[in-house]
Amino acid sequence: MQKTPNLLLVFGSLLFALLCQLFPWTGQGIVFRPDFMLVVLLYWLLRAPYLCNIGAAWLVGALADLGAGSLLGQHALAFTLTAYVALSFQRRLVLFSETQVLAFTFALLVLAKFAVLILKLLSGNEMPTWHYFWPAVTGILFWLVIKFVLGAIAHPKSTEAN
Amino acid sequence: MLKGIHQKLEHQQTPAFFVHGLSALSRMVFFCALSIILMAVDAKLNYLSQIRQALIGGLHPIERAANIPGELIRDSKKYFASHNQLVQENYILKQQAFENSVNLQRLNTLQAENEHLRSLLGGDISIHPRAVLANISHTGRDPFRNVVIVNRGIQHNIQAGQAVVDAKGVLGQVTRVYPFSSEVTMITDKSLSIPVQVERNQLRAIAFGQSGNTLDIPYLPTNVDIEIGDKLVTSGLDGIYPAGLAVATVTKIDQDPETQFAKIISTPTAKVSHHLQLLILELPEYREAEKKSPSKEKNKEEAKPDAKNS
Repeated sequence: MQKTPNLLLVFGSLLFALLCQLFPWTGQGIVFRPDFMLVVLLYWLLRAPYLCNIGAAWLVGALADLGAGSLLGQHALAFTLTAYVALSFQRRLVLFSETQVLAFTFALLVLAKFAVLILKLLSGNEMPTWHYFWPAVTGILFWLVIKFVLGAIAHPKSTEAN
Repeated sequence: MLKGIHQKLEHQQTPAFFVHGLSALSRMVFFCALSIILMAVDAKLNYLSQIRQALIGGLHPIERAANIPGELIRDSKKYFASHNQLVQENYILKQQAFENSVNLQRLNTLQAENEHLRSLLGGDISIHPRAVLANISHTGRDPFRNVVIVNRGIQHNIQAGQAVVDAKGVLGQVTRVYPFSSEVTMITDKSLSIPVQVERNQLRAIAFGQSGNTLDIPYLPTNVDIEIGDKLVTSGLDGIYPAGLAVATVTKIDQDPETQFAKIISTPTAKVSHHLQLLILELPEYREAEKKSPSKEKNKEEAKPDAKNS
């Protein structure tokens, strides 16, 4: 019998992502730092939308705003939009191959970056350099790690169960 | 019969693992509206600063936990610092202390003389702000802003608006305070401006932060008397920064006779991006209030910081 991912695991992993986000990143680290919380959020949105939905996305976004010290609601709005796009494709995901899912997740990460960028520019910030999009690239690498680790925790010996 | 099939189909269409309740679209619209309201309230009204303080205070244990690995590495580095290095550093520091003590002796006499002269002239006695030493816990996490987070907050009587300096000059200003930490915006941040004076000819101006760790001085006429290498110091007109602190050195001037204003770029004197420690100066109002009635609590209105929250 398969063990389904429970709420504790979802929020535990999100808390771990928050911890990574709050790690004192400096210098080059801050340029390449992936959006840990967004990556974990997307993993659960695509994997278990009955546990982690748009409301959770909004909450995670609000926490990201608090952590970054930016205007409250910017990341919340961006994450909500990204979560909506993710959920509207979620049921079709079973037809996708591994690489297609990877590409889809990458597109979602870029979309979230774009949404934050537009909101930041609207609130009077300067246009950043192309380095601004690095977190999407490192984010997809982090997603691979998350997929492996959380997959191993949530479905121990899933091959045996089949 | 038909009804039976219909029920069966319906049951198949919504198995237990699909989302029930509101549709994704209505949820999205609801939370987007909530975010937009939140942004508007945060940007225009001050209601949220208390809530933000409380939440950041709540996040503090998590932040401390995240800091542990870095601190461990730093401490172990300290522990393994070589004997030779320490001896050398000690020697240099002793030499510096000696030089400083000579200067300090002169400073004390000069200060006494200065205050005496000022009192003879009937002028105000210049105030020496008290300072709090703070450690930088991390640079801000928002790539759009030039801020650092320091480990002193409301618990240590830090207020929004206080000036922040290092050994070389002005670094910036405290823009947000949290229970155990506060946010310092650097003078090179776009949202910060600082009233300055050219040391050579006392010309007053306002310097604005610019991307690329420089300061921009707009609104000065093309024929302005300013040269490359001119030192800019605080003018003290705003009542936040004490007068005479080094701010920046002029590095580039573009005096195009076609345009109305000169384009002047300067580089900050303080080492804005490499620091671990900095000094937070007391607000002048707070100092005055304390001087008038030392018993009175500091329930004065907080000085508005120059910087907008972005």
